[in-house]
Amino acid sequence: MSRAEGGSRLLRSELSLVFGRRRNITLLVGLATVPLLLGIVLFVTQDSALAGQGPGFVGRVTGNGLFLVVSSLVMCLPFLLPLTIGIASGDAIAGEAQAGTLRYLLAVPVSRTRVLVVKAVAALAFAGAAVAAIALMALLSGAVLFGLDDVTLLSGSTVPLGEGVLRIAGVAVYVGLSLTGLVAVGLFFSTLTEVPVGAMAATVVVAIVSAVLDTLPQLAAIHPGLLTHHWLDFAEFLRLEVDWGVLGEGLAVQGAWVAIFASLAWSRFTTADVTS
Amino acid sequence: MTPPAVRSAGLTKRFRSGQVAVDGIELEVPRGSVYGFLGPNGSGKTTTIRMLLGLVRPTAGRAWLLEEPMPEGGGSVLPRVGVLVEGPAFHPYLTGRANLARLDAADATADPRTTRRRSDAALERVGLAAAAAKPFRQYSLGMKQRLGLAAALLRPRDLLVLDEPTNGLDPQGTREVRHLIRELADAGTTVLVSSHLLAEIDQVCSHIGIMSQGKLLVQDERLALTERGEPTLVVRTAVDHVGTATEVLTALGLGAPVVDGPEVTASLGSVAPETATAALVGAGVPVVGLEARRPSLEQLFVTLTGEGFDVAR
Amino acid sequence: MTETQPSSPATPPPSSPVAPASATALATPSARRRWAVPAVVATAVAGAFVAPPLLAAAGDASLPEVTPLELLAEVAEAEPMALTGTAVYTARLGLPEIPFAEIAGADPIALLAGSSTIRVWTDGEERSRAALLGPASEYSVVRDGPEAWTYSSEEDAVVHYALSAEDEARYEALADQLRAGPSPEVAGELPTPEEAARLVLDRAEEHSTVSLDAQTTVAGRDAYQLVVTPRSTETLVARVVVAVDAETSTPLRVQVWSTQDEATPALDVGFTDVTFAAPEDAVLEFTAPASATVEEVVVPLPEVTEMERTEGAAKGELPEGVTVAGEGWESVTTLTGLDVAALVAGDPAALASVPGSERTLGSESAQELIGEFLPEDGEGGHPGLSLDGAALYEQLTTEVPEGRLLSSSLLSLLVTEDGRVLVGAVPAETLRGMA
Repeated sequence: MSRAEGGSRLLRSELSLVFGRRRNITLLVGLATVPLLLGIVLFVTQDSALAGQGPGFVGRVTGNGLFLVVSSLVMCLPFLLPLTIGIASGDAIAGEAQAGTLRYLLAVPVSRTRVLVVKAVAALAFAGAAVAAIALMALLSGAVLFGLDDVTLLSGSTVPLGEGVLRIAGVAVYVGLSLTGLVAVGLFFSTLTEVPVGAMAATVVVAIVSAVLDTLPQLAAIHPGLLTHHWLDFAEFLRLEVDWGVLGEGLAVQGAWVAIFASLAWSRFTTADVTS
Repeated sequence: MTPPAVRSAGLTKRFRSGQVAVDGIELEVPRGSVYGFLGPNGSGKTTTIRMLLGLVRPTAGRAWLLEEPMPEGGGSVLPRVGVLVEGPAFHPYLTGRANLARLDAADATADPRTTRRRSDAALERVGLAAAAAKPFRQYSLGMKQRLGLAAALLRPRDLLVLDEPTNGLDPQGTREVRHLIRELADAGTTVLVSSHLLAEIDQVCSHIGIMSQGKLLVQDERLALTERGEPTLVVRTAVDHVGTATEVLTALGLGAPVVDGPEVTASLGSVAPETATAALVGAGVPVVGLEARRPSLEQLFVTLTGEGFDVAR
Repeated sequence: MTETQPSSPATPPPSSPVAPASATALATPSARRRWAVPAVVATAVAGAFVAPPLLAAAGDASLPEVTPLELLAEVAEAEPMALTGTAVYTARLGLPEIPFAEIAGADPIALLAGSSTIRVWTDGEERSRAALLGPASEYSVVRDGPEAWTYSSEEDAVVHYALSAEDEARYEALADQLRAGPSPEVAGELPTPEEAARLVLDRAEEHSTVSLDAQTTVAGRDAYQLVVTPRSTETLVARVVVAVDAETSTPLRVQVWSTQDEATPALDVGFTDVTFAAPEDAVLEFTAPASATVEEVVVPLPEVTEMERTEGAAKGELPEGVTVAGEGWESVTTLTGLDVAALVAGDPAALASVPGSERTLGSESAQELIGEFLPEDGEGGHPGLSLDGAALYEQLTTEVPEGRLLSSSLLSLLVTEDGRVLVGAVPAETLRGMA
């Protein structure tokens, strides 16, 4: 049997491990309830004086359920999604190290690079699943509660529902890809410790610190390179003419974080002594 | 002579704290042997095993498993090596069988079509077949240990590296493990088995290596080691005959007789025990008991290091 | 007794025996080599992100020599170009801290400080769109001949500016004449490099000296730099630098330098990206979204004669209550009989007290330029302006013996207790002396 088949077999095993774990399933279900709760709250209050209020796109949800997707993602971006990423990626290596299963995996043997790649792919898949859980649940509850309609862009123009759905899908994909840098950071932390909770917490802290630094005007010079700086650039999909340059820049910054932290994780993991 | 199954040259590990866990050891495990790797807790056995398996990078020195240099040759040689390192470790929420399936999935050289058959056979072999569908976290300590052994036996191996395989097992379980090791060795598998409990594995080993404070103090065939010590003769008789007995033994050429109550102990030297028996009886010494003693491994160890072994309870 | 040594040392190791010393030498550099990988990656990434701007900056534009006056003439004669671009606008006016945290999305008030990104589309004729980009929000100004719209995505609100029905008919009749003339006044106008440059260069020679600075590159295009320096030393404006595209003579960047800061321009608006191609029709059209609130504003079309007068910038025909002291950059405009407190509180009745339209109060270049840059507040209760006017007024002005003073690095404004407003591109002391 070929090496590639062997690799995919391990990946399948890893995916079933990640997606079969009760904690992770609970996490996905929890994330999926955010749009549901948000939708219900907006539905109940839509005829009250509070209607149309709220940050971001919340005000538009009652008019068009599609915006529940964007609102829910905006709501989860500052903390819930980084937390999910932290749990998925911080646990990747450190979790196996703490359980002691890492030494058996390496003695099977699996090359350390392959362990890292498989863990990274599984963490990315989980991040994607988290975004998909929010987006799909939001689409569903938005459609049921408020119905779907043509989409009014930020520029004031209106595009047909089909194009609107495509644009919103673009938003979700961009949000998902925006999280790749954080996955790499979490993976690196995960190679540093045998305490998964430590790696998870550190990952979440990085996202929060990045968001805080992004608000300090004194640090404007470093803002474009910050991990979280381009997260809200998904709005580009809701402008009259999507500026792919802006989206590309955001993804390039993520790519840079991925390159640096993935290589750090690789160096650390392939040279570290496994003493757990 | 076939090359050894495990070999190291000047293998050394100094941790970042400066502590030297393993200090230039020259390990040699012959093919087909059952090598008892003995030493108190913290003597460096586990660190040595981790270096052999490529988990820990040596500070200096080299190691070979089945003629392949480690860690570089790990990819090709480790599939032929079954391991149990520092206790079993599995995913707690997966069943025993699922845990074995995961390890097998990680093995790029394993045939996925036979996974089920091989894991069931391994579970059967360690007596876990009935608990195969239970999650690992519900296992008792002994069952966990058995699952660890099952993982090591997931496919035919040329070498087994078993670190403390009897940990957590009751006397019955310990006996079973000894039996298993014997069986595997008879089938031609080389077994490197470590323990801090000398008595538990002493009997199955063909070779013994003793570690203390990072150094390999002794390494030889078990029989050669035990024959190395000076044999002594202990004669028990009546208290008023100890004088005669001493004279007889001295006359025979036995050295340094020591009298302790009704017992006389003397160094046997090259004298056969039966010759001494005949002489004593001929001299009219009433022999109540007579024993030709070899020093135990434990005594050997105490003489070598001046420190005691952890004693089995 | 065998000590430490294996009992059968004759057995050769499977591969050639390696002495422990050289084994050490093997193990450590391998680890070091692995750690070199992230170092190389980080360097490559830093290079990829830092190098392009450096290379662009190093780009040596070797353009043919021109004199300042030739360039000025070229800019004046150049056909307005259809273009699509992104401009970054930065203000360092030295204003007191404004509670920007209250501004959730794109809002022209954000132009008072910090950097903003504005996207620009124009067909080079009478249709254009400018959009101020906020995080997940947008504020757009769309012009189509005699009509204009502003749209705030945060408020989901449209303001539609249009001529009255009879003016519309006149507009059509005079279309050719008017095409070059002013479009309807829009509150919450967005600054673009071309607009800002036009205001400076139109009157550049009157009270200024014009010179050329080193050639530069703006938005990846080679450009000349025109420097307009006020002859007066009494003004806060040190100089205005306009970068002009060498190929199309389109202004690409305008920097206004204050006498108070030699290191960075007080106002800076320039393209970061520009393409000279006609935008798609869809971009230049506007239809109010169904969900939005729409406010209709009817803009009076000035009589042609009146227009000609203002074009000629004839002084002395100012509306009642407006006087101008001084000339050119150092001129100070005084408005009398204003109820400022009511005005900033958004009382529509107070609007009646404003003498003439805002644009006429500063017929001189400095005020107009700044008027172009600054968001035009003062019409009260505007959907585009989400901040409380009175609170903002309190925040921006300070108490002085003569009244309340707003002092920035380019403009000073003094509101006296007797209802006069003095405004000019001069130091605050000058205004206080005049009051």
